[in-house]
Amino acid sequence: MRIELTDVMWFEEHSVSLRELSELCALPAALLEELVSGGVILPLESVATEPRFGAQALSAARTARRLREDFELDTSGLMLALGLIDRVRDLERELRALRARLPGTTSP
Amino acid sequence: MKYKDYYATLGVERGASEDAIKKAYRRLAHKYHPDVSKEADAEERFKEVAEAYQTLKDPEKRAAYDQLGTHSAGQDFQPPPDWQRQWQPSQEEAFSAEDLDLSALFEHLRAGRGARGGERMVMAGQDYEVAVPVSIEQAYSGTQIDLDLNMPEYDAQGRLHRTPHAFKARIPKGATDGQRLRVPGKGGKGINGGRNGDLYLNISLLPHPYYRANGHDLYLDLPLSAWEAVLGTSVEVPTPGGSVRLKVPPGTQAARQLRLPGRGLPKPKGGQGDLYAVVQIVVPSVVNDRERALYQQLSDVSAYDPRAHFVREGSHAN
Repeated sequence: MRIELTDVMWFEEHSVSLRELSELCALPAALLEELVSGGVILPLESVATEPRFGAQALSAARTARRLREDFELDTSGLMLALGLIDRVRDLERELRALRARLPGTTSP
Repeated sequence: MKYKDYYATLGVERGASEDAIKKAYRRLAHKYHPDVSKEADAEERFKEVAEAYQTLKDPEKRAAYDQLGTHSAGQDFQPPPDWQRQWQPSQEEAFSAEDLDLSALFEHLRAGRGARGGERMVMAGQDYEVAVPVSIEQAYSGTQIDLDLNMPEYDAQGRLHRTPHAFKARIPKGATDGQRLRVPGKGGKGINGGRNGDLYLNISLLPHPYYRANGHDLYLDLPLSAWEAVLGTSVEVPTPGGSVRLKVPPGTQAARQLRLPGRGLPKPKGGQGDLYAVVQIVVPSVVNDRERALYQQLSDVSAYDPRAHFVREGSHAN
């Protein structure tokens, strides 16, 4: 079997337009626009007139695509699920930060 | 080809109604969907469940699946001779490939129908996400990981195979928990000129015997004896880049964080997190006679009251 060595790039370094985002996550642009105006997918802050999207947005959009297909969610169910998943991730991050400061525990 | 029991995967009877199949799928999807599940093997389990549901939810695919007969899961089998004539008349060759996946038969059912007009669909390759656990040492210095992926791929005849792909990916230093790396074009192959999918690596840090990571900062418990904490000392502290000497000032309290700037994990765009040594004051559980006598002497001499801040309510009650 052929084994090749591949270099990877930081996911965080990309920014894409709404059209590219739609292509990368295979969701219709109109639905993405709804998710953006609903605040569950956030564009990068920039002075450009056309919104640009970064790693967070691409990750959220890919999650949205999976949830929509796998749970057959409509737009409002999708927004609710994405909002809740975001909150869970924030809480997990906070828990991890607190645990790191807690003496006598070794889980990262 | 290996048989898969789609009904058993969903936990339903072979004669289950469409509604029962949908309910079973939903229940399992809630339990195993990788975006919402905490189960260890969630991703693998969900793939199986989704594959079973894809076939059983569609009456035509389900009928085709049922006509394959009943075999035990994992058993080698061939579709009956007239099966292909009925379900895939557009397919010229008979299935013989050993590595053909069962799900490919039903992909075909759809692809066969779609391609009947001679139209070639342009499709982007599938994206993949892979969990990559790395140790703190690997995150510190960067590492190379071996990836073995089983990717569905279409061959020249348009048939779906699971093709093993092995490659090495260089993980640059500076990775930390929850970060993602993108490997462009390394996902599934595009079809009829569609772009190749991407591969996403989700980094997680493995538990370490003494470091705990928070972003690029590291925390480490630093046990000190009572006299070290009182008198101050200089101790050797491990860091991922090698041991360093840390000056502990006299009168160091428990839970105090001693910061070692730039001794944490490197950041991808330069710079480095910090390492915090969290002081713990520990005492020996066994002491010899001489030590006990010295502690006693200290106790007699010292006027230090560690509980001076408690309100003295007890004095009134007595």
